[in-house]
Amino acid sequence: MAQSPPRSGRPPIQQLQTVADLLETPALARVYAHILHDGPVTVSEIVDTLDIPQGTAYDYVQNLETASLVEKTREQRPYEYDAEPIALTLSTDGKTQTITPALIAAVARREEDEDIDVYIERHGLDGLAIALEYAYEYVDGTVNHRIAARELDLSPLEAEIILQALEPVATEYVGAAA
Amino acid sequence: MTTVYIADTGVFVRCGGPDKNKFQRLRRALRQAGVSLRIPQRVYTELGGDPAADAYPSGNIPYPDGFEEGWIVVADDLDYTNPLVSTVMDEARRFIANETDRSEDITEKADTALVGLAAQVLDTGEADHVVLLTTDKPAGRAAETLIPQHGFSDRIEFRYVSVEFLESITAQEFR
Repeated sequence: MAQSPPRSGRPPIQQLQTVADLLETPALARVYAHILHDGPVTVSEIVDTLDIPQGTAYDYVQNLETASLVEKTREQRPYEYDAEPIALTLSTDGKTQTITPALIAAVARREEDEDIDVYIERHGLDGLAIALEYAYEYVDGTVNHRIAARELDLSPLEAEIILQALEPVATEYVGAAA
Repeated sequence: MTTVYIADTGVFVRCGGPDKNKFQRLRRALRQAGVSLRIPQRVYTELGGDPAADAYPSGNIPYPDGFEEGWIVVADDLDYTNPLVSTVMDEARRFIANETDRSEDITEKADTALVGLAAQVLDTGEADHVVLLTTDKPAGRAAETLIPQHGFSDRIEFRYVSVEFLESITAQEFR
């Protein structure tokens, strides 16, 4: 079951397809995270900042716009885009997970931060989403790697590695945490 | 004045990554200052205890070089018969449970080894000042709060080891 507050008239299941793309495509996730963080921005600003090919940037922005995850905020050229924060809650078999902008930002980092990439390989995106919740606590000083390791069934070393890797994301999104 | 520097697992994880620049920077700073980092047995075990961590760039930490070169040393065993060490560690365990809003069962006495070691080197007179380098904020706060209550005010300092801290570290930090 998927629930999302109505956003710009785009129904949840249609949004879900683009959200799935975001989770699978780190470069797309980077574009979304960048627009959310720095928007409104133009496509050429995205190209310059993220160092991705122009054609790719246009395609990605269009995909995000079609899914209503970003919207044009300036109707004349150069167009400017701003992003809507995602909150897509999925429930299966009594387990619930919310896909948040912070999770997308964490996925976006997997290309540049191999620690995050390895963690996703080993524990999946659900594992990453849970680790991200611990990263907020870690930043806040209300957990340490030793307790996190026991609660997540990791070694203390692996827990410390992922908490440090997610620390920048948790710090940036701390105010937005649900 | 003798200062002892106690380092936690997070310091070495922070040094990781493919370029190891931060590791080299820390090494240079310590060697220039002629100072070594002490790590509790617990930290030594954590660093070497998980082959799975080798898959991570930050799990590939060249800390054994530090032992060879003498700027990382494994500290003496904690002396649990020393009442101060034992008391401070019990208090730290409660403090951490409270700080993290968890039951005491989720923390182990050995989680507080950093705090215990700090108390031990102060109590035995081996150091008159201790600097705790860690990313474990609850333990750092426990040390800063509890150790002064046992007659060691202004003798313990907790430094949170951030990326920025390691990126700008020099020998000055250890003088």
